[in-house]
Amino acid sequence: MQIPFHTQTRRHFFRDCGVGVGKIALASLLARTATASDTPTAPKPTHFAAKAKRIIYLFMAGAPSQLELFDYKPKLTELEGRPIPPSVVKGQRYAFIQPDAAVLGPRFKFAKHGESGAELSEILPQLAKVVDEIAIVRSVHTDKFNHSPAQLFLNTGSGIPGRPSMGSWLSYGIGSDADDLPSFVVLKSGGSLSGGASMWGSGFLPSTHQGVPFRSQGDPILNVSNPRGYDERAQRDSLDLIRKLNEERLDVVGDPEITTRINAYEMAYRMQSRAPELMDFSSETAETLALYGATPGDGKHAFANNCLLARRLAERGVRFIQVYHSGWDHHSNVEGGVRGQCGQTDQACAALLQDLRQRGLLDDTLVVWGGEFGRTPMVEASAALGRTKGRDHHPQAYTMWFAGGGIRPGASLGATDELGFHVVDKPVHVHDVQATMLHCLGIDHERLTFRFNGLNFRLTGVEEHHPVQELLA
Amino acid sequence: MPRLFCLFVILAGACSQARAADSVNFNRDVRPILATKCFACHGPDEEQREAELRLDVRKSAITKEAFVPGKPGESELVRRILSDDADERMPPEGSDQLSDKEKTLLREWIAAGATYEQHWAFIPPQQPDLPTVTDADWPKNAIDHFVLARLEAEGMQPSPAADRYTLCRRVYLDLIGLPPTSEEADSFVNDKDPQAYEKLVDRLLKSQQYGERWARLWLDLARYSDTNGYEKDRPRSIWPYRDWVIRALNDDMPFDRFTIEQLAGDMLPDATTDQRIATGFHRNTMLNEEGGIDPLEYRFHAMVDRVATTGTVWMGLTTGCGQCHSHKYDPISQTDYYRLMALLNNADEPDLVVPDPAILEGRRKIEEQIAALEAALPNQFPPLKGEGTVEELRAAAVEHAFSKWIEQERKATVAWSVLRPHHMATNLPKLETLADGSIFSTGDITKRDVFTLRFKIEEPITAIRLETLPDDRLPARGPGRAFYEGRKGNFFLSELKGRIGDSPIKFADASHTFGKIAIGSGNANATNVLDGEGSTGWSTATREGESHRLVLNLAEPLPAPCELEIEMLFERHFAASLGLFRISATTASDAAKASQTPVDLQQLLTLSPDTWDEVQRQTLRQQFLRTVPELADARKEIDKLRKALPALPTTMVMLERPADNPRKTFRHHRGEFLSPREEVTPAVLETLPQLDGDQPADRLAFARWLVSEKNPLIGRVAVNRAWRAFFGSGLMRTSGDFGTQSDPSTHPVLLDWLACEFVARGWSMKKLHRLIVMSATYQQSSRITPELLQRDPENRLLARGPRYRIDAELVRDSMLKASGLLSAKIGGPSVYPPQPASVTALAYGNTKWDVSPGEDRYRRSLYTFSKRTAPFAAYSVFDGPTGENCVPRRDRSNTPLQALTLLNDEMYLEMAQAIAKLSADVNRDERASFIFRRLLTRPPSGAESKALATFQRAQQQRLGAAELDAELIGGNDAATPESASWVMVARAVMNLDEVITKQ
Repeated sequence: MQIPFHTQTRRHFFRDCGVGVGKIALASLLARTATASDTPTAPKPTHFAAKAKRIIYLFMAGAPSQLELFDYKPKLTELEGRPIPPSVVKGQRYAFIQPDAAVLGPRFKFAKHGESGAELSEILPQLAKVVDEIAIVRSVHTDKFNHSPAQLFLNTGSGIPGRPSMGSWLSYGIGSDADDLPSFVVLKSGGSLSGGASMWGSGFLPSTHQGVPFRSQGDPILNVSNPRGYDERAQRDSLDLIRKLNEERLDVVGDPEITTRINAYEMAYRMQSRAPELMDFSSETAETLALYGATPGDGKHAFANNCLLARRLAERGVRFIQVYHSGWDHHSNVEGGVRGQCGQTDQACAALLQDLRQRGLLDDTLVVWGGEFGRTPMVEASAALGRTKGRDHHPQAYTMWFAGGGIRPGASLGATDELGFHVVDKPVHVHDVQATMLHCLGIDHERLTFRFNGLNFRLTGVEEHHPVQELLA
Repeated sequence: MPRLFCLFVILAGACSQARAADSVNFNRDVRPILATKCFACHGPDEEQREAELRLDVRKSAITKEAFVPGKPGESELVRRILSDDADERMPPEGSDQLSDKEKTLLREWIAAGATYEQHWAFIPPQQPDLPTVTDADWPKNAIDHFVLARLEAEGMQPSPAADRYTLCRRVYLDLIGLPPTSEEADSFVNDKDPQAYEKLVDRLLKSQQYGERWARLWLDLARYSDTNGYEKDRPRSIWPYRDWVIRALNDDMPFDRFTIEQLAGDMLPDATTDQRIATGFHRNTMLNEEGGIDPLEYRFHAMVDRVATTGTVWMGLTTGCGQCHSHKYDPISQTDYYRLMALLNNADEPDLVVPDPAILEGRRKIEEQIAALEAALPNQFPPLKGEGTVEELRAAAVEHAFSKWIEQERKATVAWSVLRPHHMATNLPKLETLADGSIFSTGDITKRDVFTLRFKIEEPITAIRLETLPDDRLPARGPGRAFYEGRKGNFFLSELKGRIGDSPIKFADASHTFGKIAIGSGNANATNVLDGEGSTGWSTATREGESHRLVLNLAEPLPAPCELEIEMLFERHFAASLGLFRISATTASDAAKASQTPVDLQQLLTLSPDTWDEVQRQTLRQQFLRTVPELADARKEIDKLRKALPALPTTMVMLERPADNPRKTFRHHRGEFLSPREEVTPAVLETLPQLDGDQPADRLAFARWLVSEKNPLIGRVAVNRAWRAFFGSGLMRTSGDFGTQSDPSTHPVLLDWLACEFVARGWSMKKLHRLIVMSATYQQSSRITPELLQRDPENRLLARGPRYRIDAELVRDSMLKASGLLSAKIGGPSVYPPQPASVTALAYGNTKWDVSPGEDRYRRSLYTFSKRTAPFAAYSVFDGPTGENCVPRRDRSNTPLQALTLLNDEMYLEMAQAIAKLSADVNRDERASFIFRRLLTRPPSGAESKALATFQRAQQQRLGAAELDAELIGGNDAATPESASWVMVARAVMNLDEVITKQ
């Protein structure tokens, strides 16, 4: 087992240092010096200097069509209606279509924007305005061609549920600057998510590191409000009594776990105090709300609201903020679908970058945008399913963009063939994406490991992968 | 300095256990060097092996002249590791080099004879003698001898015995997973009988709640869940397996039988329903129902899970590494891994209908009513007009209409004869022709199945009929084989083509008896199978378990004799080929049409009525009564009753495949589904004694092997798991791992003694648990003195009793019992206790969580519906499992979210209100103590009582002054400031660390 960090959680320390019983004695030395700040999510040193302190990951669940947004392929218009040669398709398995399906041309016009001259679809007018802030990678590829496995793969490095998610790896590896909010927060809008709770689970890492989903109804954090009838003082009085009795018990039985429990109750209380302030957007100016297109409390603007909330979470020291927006799975009418989704997301994504920039937060916040795979150059149509002019899942090539801390703004990377089918330049595997994200936070992805079931696990799997140097500032 | 000194003592202690002698020891000194520096190229992994040399097997190493035992000077290995020549030196440049010390050790080892040792865990345990101890009064049973001997060797002493309240609560929580009530605790504490504790233990072991408590631990290993996992995460029915576990544990089923029935109950001679239900163990793997997946890929992942889980549960080995490569350290090659998979890989995975007697009886009663109503149907037929009694006119009307019906039916019916194929081929499934000419499909299916059938045609046929047929062996009785994503039992026939030689035959038209597709907005017209478009087709969704017909008229009669080839294509985004069907043909000159009349009756109708016997006539008459429009209203009651027939529960089981169609298993390069290499034969790990040669190497043989003396790990793994349940960690801490890389056990001899004792006592889990709780070791006080905290904070040496947070389910169950709400009902479908709607709203499809009514709201937590992608929040916050993996050891976190749950979750507030209500009858002075004891068993100390009293008074005052709302806090309109204040007291006490701690 490599020891990834200078300071480790106590539990981690027990498991990994020294040999046999000796480790326990060492641990006890640590235990005695434990303080409230020695919680498992307290900040820890990184492997090397970090460019970014936190990540906002705009996860476009369902897989947006790169061919309608970022990867312009006029050749597809030319070939529309004809099948792609089997020599190109090779043995690829598809979810819905047959490999001999015909080509479908891009549904939107493209133009170059900004100083970088990046080519974007007309359906992304707001992003076009801030295009020089972002770095576009058109050569991302993945191993999975179904939603649930592919979403899990991006988040946990495995297509099977149950592995630790990226946010939990970060919490485990470098802790969090927030002591009144979770280190890993999940926000969601749009339709259903395919990957389930495993996408923010902690797998075999200590469960303290699991992501906390904010709920769109009721308490944002489960049970963060006082029960009905209990005012602030009643809660404080109760906590004081609990603390007093726990301390009495600590004196009798001497178990340091009681101290941890007392601290956990105090942090719970801080979260209770913090949450209403966090969720209260009244301190935001009308200009800011308009920038995002946010309308607090209105579900129709859920994504914009979440982007604004993401910035507020970033300000408050949360390490990993994942903003899911689902609804990109356009098996039919990809044109209408993409138009609708961009209507909900384009402005807020651009606004988030602008707002972070204005507040000086973009320099140390890594912003990532992308889905779990791409969409086929071939059309999807099915009479049984009532589908026309859609696109199926395409794992071979798709587009993601990155911005902020650690990223070279305006960079453009990778290319696909004239059909948008295969990557022909600078392939970036999902594990490379993960390695890059960790790198921006000062983490060597090969050294962030955890021993479980006789294996040293890491987020980026066993094969060799690298941070994408061309992307890095 | 004193700290450092203590550290030294413990390290020395650890070493004294491991270092038996000064000479070079293979397991301790040599294996680690070979494992880290040599095995990567000269080890178990045949793919990576260089020069065909393996150093992990002594005989191979000597045969290949790697070394000469006793003669380092003549040994190539020594020459190579000492060589200055970069081309010759081992390990080669660029690899991790040997240190001088390591070189010396290897040399010494060869000089001493180069003996190899089997890793200790691979050597069967021998019953050790009890060690002698100085304090002979302390031990209560053999366990204590081992523990005390170790403590005395460390110069330590056991802790005093726990007080009786603590002990009572501890043993209740451990054996039945619930705390005692105050009365139960008092009756034990005040019992002067010296056997009082033993009596209590025996009573708890007999309690039905014992099985519920221990089932939960087993279900962690079984990765039990009530949903399929992955994207859609739909519900599944496998709770009969959960109930089987509870029953087996309550019956103290010996662990060997418990094992065999779960792994291979279906293969036992005359397997009972229970034994088949038990095979649900390995059906608890996840099922991906996402549209468009490759079902065989996820079946492979399920197999990977089964191999890993079997390794963890019954061998304590992490076989999982072997999926992608040979194990680097443990003697598990990649081939070994896939051989293990082959042992488990030959089963089909059907649903078993559980013949629940109560439900069967319910069905029988309704069926009787239906029969009576059907018999009375003619009495409701509208009578003819005319002379005679109503009865006569009615009877005449029935007979008249019946004759007319027969006439019409005979006219519309053509004679079909069954075509039997002389040749059948498919892309994967196996087709066989049954006695009645129907064709049955078994084996694996895909998203694009193609059946090719050839028939010898002797007559000029004019139409072809496809019958789809139900069968108990198919999902939801078929006729299709869809088992995920679409409706179970669904099929989707995309295309049906006919050919004579190379020439396609033309069809004129198509008709069906029913058509509906399962997913999507498309139609299911019969002509879809002729349109050359794979995405359209015929299906009979919603009518699973029924037979339907598709009739295709030929454009021209076939030129007889000829060979007809029929190709059926089943292409959908999920696997949906037919399971049972039959093909017939007619030579009738009129265009045929699919008839609603059952096929056997059609056959009758083509014969002359003179030939019908009375039974046949009655059958036709019944069909007439069931369809004649004049009785439509009269039949409504019957239809209603049919719908009310209670369904029998189903459960997911294993069923070994027939001998003539075994599933092949391959080694998969790098563990990838798409990279199968050579086929492997089933076998256990090469390093361990093999299966009996005279029995087939299959699942049953493997299950029996796992609990035989040939598996040296079984006893140790089983007792270690039990030990962890009582002490919080096992004698081997890494319970999933008894491999060469595992931490040494703190009490290796005790582990072996218990393993032998467990088998000697007939694999009885209850006897094992009894042995542990009767030990003085278990009964010690758990108080952590400053000395103990410094010396052994994790209690590895067992100088005190266990103290740690209880599991998620116990947190809720304890409070349910304390609040008097707990339901005692055992078993049945899973239930939905209250939780915020937002928990499952996050899951795919905005899943609803409809809270169960009545006592189901308060059932024990192991009955809570377990949804993999949105686990019950109050459990996952306390490290409850998701069912995605086999969990041999749960995390025990201590977090703010746990605090928020216990403080603010409405489910717990309801319990606080219930506890306060229970205390209403108690004398005011004793009320705080009453509440305290409901939750903590022991009486409060003076200081605790005082603190509670102060709090209660202050809150009552605020409530009285309307600063707080008594009705809201009290949870009802009748709440007073006083009653509400006691709710606040109960809520505070529920949040004490001690309530959720076993100590």
